[in-house]
Amino acid sequence: MGGLSRVEWALEGVRQAVKGPAWIVAVALTGVGGLAREAGFPFGAAVASTLLIWAGPAQVLFFGAVAQHVAPAAIAFSICVSSMRLLPMCLSLLPLLRGRRTSLLTQVVASHFVAVTVWTESMRRIHDVPRDARMAFYFGFAHACILATAAFTGLGYWLMGDLPTPLGAGLLFLSPIYFITALARNAREAMDWLAIGFGLVLAPVTSALAPRGFDLLFLGLVGGTAAWAIGRKLRARRGEAAA
Amino acid sequence: MSILTDPAHAPYLFLILFGFLPSEVWRFVSAFVAQGISEDSEVFVWVRAVATCLLAGVVAKLILSPSGALALVPLYARVGAILAGGAAFLLFRRSVVAAVIFGEGLLIAAAMLFT
Repeated sequence: MGGLSRVEWALEGVRQAVKGPAWIVAVALTGVGGLAREAGFPFGAAVASTLLIWAGPAQVLFFGAVAQHVAPAAIAFSICVSSMRLLPMCLSLLPLLRGRRTSLLTQVVASHFVAVTVWTESMRRIHDVPRDARMAFYFGFAHACILATAAFTGLGYWLMGDLPTPLGAGLLFLSPIYFITALARNAREAMDWLAIGFGLVLAPVTSALAPRGFDLLFLGLVGGTAAWAIGRKLRARRGEAAA
Repeated sequence: MSILTDPAHAPYLFLILFGFLPSEVWRFVSAFVAQGISEDSEVFVWVRAVATCLLAGVVAKLILSPSGALALVPLYARVGAILAGGAAFLLFRRSVVAAVIFGEGLLIAAAMLFT
């Protein structure tokens, strides 16, 4: 696919998103619309929350907290803490996306679309895209995901609440089952598998020990650093064996 | 009436101030920090490990302390459905779609039995 233009790469991004990931994130976030309605927000604000916040956990937290009349400053604080995870995600994706002439502004705009689905899927797919076309592919892919999800948030605003329990449970299960398999699909070396394993096993420990809201940050730093250190040692050993 | 004082705009203003901005600040900051990170550096590898571990933690929390209808399904069924998804993933040559279908199938079946 080396001869494609940037526009064709953007369309390729749209095509790959529409083949699966866009629908998974869209369906998984349908419930946000229902939460927004319960919290008393108008239809437009529910859809805007997906376009603007574009992070499922933060949106659930936001509407849930408003419904419980939590103080605005406290809502902002907990959203801020929960979205901290976007930082390592952006930092590990942007260097792969940018070309030599990509402007800072383009990267700021690109960072807005980083969320779990776009991150996991781009981290894998971007390696098959030529450097100069990566931003184009990424914007095509990300727009398809966010627009499909915004449409489903709007749908959820009117439909949710009337779902039978098994389907409601299935809807809530979609995020975890998809996230974990997408992470496994992305794993390329021992470090990635270790990071996944540490994250799963240590999560109950950190959520019991770390201050409320900060447990995932601790988990990422401790488990991620351990996975990186062990992975580095394994890589070095393999390097010695090869030499 | 100004844009700021029109009550019809209040929910949007609230969303932007207390939902959008506190979340977006991390993406904004990262675009600047990322300027100093090279793709070949160890920092870049480390950041990937941190992000991966963190997201696996998100999954564990969603399974161990779920909300709403998912909380009505027993813990062993939730974990079992994840394992079924994992088995399908390996059986069908690392297929995410197969994992989602098998995991969801088992979970919804369990939810019909237990709720």
